[in-house]
Amino acid sequence: MSNPSQTTATAPTAPQEHEPRIVAFQCKWCTSAGSDLAGVSRIQYPANAVPIQVMCSGMVSPMYVLSAFNKGADGVLVSGCHPGDCHYMKGNFFARRKLYLVQKLLQFIGLESDRFRMSWISAAEGTKYAQVISDFVRDMKALGPQRKLKAKR
Amino acid sequence: MVKVEDIQQCAAGLLEKGQVKSVLGFRRGTAGAMAEPCTITEAAEAGTLVWDPTCLNNLALYLVKDRKQQAASKTPDIRPIGIVAKGCDSRAVAVLLQENYFKREEVFVIGVSCEGTGVIDPKKVATLLKGRSPSRVEFDGADGFKLTLRGGEMQVPAREILADRCLECRAASPALNDVVFGEPSGERGYATPFHAAKEALGASETERWAAWEHHFDRCLRCFACRSVCPMCYCPECVVDSTSFVIEPQTSAEEKANRIKWCERSPNTSESAVYHLTRAIHLAGRCVDCGECERVCPVNIPLRLLNTMLEMEAFEMFHYQAGHDLSQASLLSSFRDEDPNSFIR
Ligand code: SF4
Ligand code: SF4
Repeated sequence: MSNPSQTTATAPTAPQEHEPRIVAFQCKWCTSAGSDLAGVSRIQYPANAVPIQVMCSGMVSPMYVLSAFNKGADGVLVSGCHPGDCHYMKGNFFARRKLYLVQKLLQFIGLESDRFRMSWISAAEGTKYAQVISDFVRDMKALGPQRKLKAKR
Repeated sequence: MVKVEDIQQCAAGLLEKGQVKSVLGFRRGTAGAMAEPCTITEAAEAGTLVWDPTCLNNLALYLVKDRKQQAASKTPDIRPIGIVAKGCDSRAVAVLLQENYFKREEVFVIGVSCEGTGVIDPKKVATLLKGRSPSRVEFDGADGFKLTLRGGEMQVPAREILADRCLECRAASPALNDVVFGEPSGERGYATPFHAAKEALGASETERWAAWEHHFDRCLRCFACRSVCPMCYCPECVVDSTSFVIEPQTSAEEKANRIKWCERSPNTSESAVYHLTRAIHLAGRCVDCGECERVCPVNIPLRLLNTMLEMEAFEMFHYQAGHDLSQASLLSSFRDEDPNSFIR
């Protein structure tokens, strides 16, 4: 027996476009400042990214990435300072090596390779930040929801 | 040809002179032809040591176990231990040394070269013999095995029943050793290195996910793979938070908010987190001894995940696990020319 109020609530409407959720691990010194700059410069970019400030891209454990996918992220971005600009001298070099392997591993088990991204965005690159996020959201919309690694809870 | 008497004499000598407190090796087991790991502490026991193609285990695991035991003991015995080591076992010892798990003088490596062959894969033998099991498996010439069955003997080319990791092995004689028996031997040309991982990469993305989803779904989370791996030595694994103490005054909120990287339930998604984490934590450390894959009760091809990362490490970062003791480990080093083009 169907409840009339429920029937109206789930009445077929136009299929909604998937709004991707992107988790962005951003280094405090560059990318976070870059995203601030994008904000204060009032650059328009989609609000789908959840920024998580980390002290350095080098501290992003592969488990953060896996955990984000597990909890339903459609895309994960790790962003830090350009090579040579790391506040801690070499954190981003370590990140680059480690996350290269994470990316390869995710590809190997058959996750769409586009879902994990890395970028170098300096504190002065507000426009680049907006661009990276817009591109990511656009591509994730095209890919649809990430169901492979998401926990079925 | 490696003579088992040489290994026995060497072990007896070490124990007699008191150079080591014990020797880790193999003896005849109770499961058919298969050898089993053993620890001998008396020179008189050295005669029980065996060396044949059924010596599958990676004995470096027992060095780790001893270390943990000594750490918990009130009267630790830190005299060196002797270990009978194949190529892969010696690489495992090398990685442990590189990570300062113990000191070089605390282990005496009795290296044994696998020469032209290696160890068998019991599953392949069972398939070949249609479920019958041999009572003895011996080396036969440079690239063959001799199986003793009830009905007689049978010669089999090594290629047919060799364990997968031996087919791809690049260093069949132990590079790290105090004494070595058998002829030095490197790549034997059964299969190109990283053959299986490369083949798996040949499949499409959809096929790869279909395969891995199936594997993650089947995983029982028995953690046999973790228990058998000499590199998985952490006292507490990141996937189970055993040190989270629940006291009477622990609030529901604290319990709910504790960090749990993955749930204990063996779901596809949680097992995926476990396996991917394990793979990445073994990057640059896995010596491809194939033990994890061998012990898995549901035949998950775990070697693929690890060798795939070893392949990347080798090809992109020129890094080989257990190759050079003085080298910084894979993830604690970098080079300016590391790949950068994947970054936006
Ligand atoms: S041994 Fe196999 S079933 Fe057990 S936890 Fe490892 S992969 Fe899963
Ligand atoms: S991950 Fe598997 S193959 Fe690698 S060292 Fe551990 S047990 Fe051996």
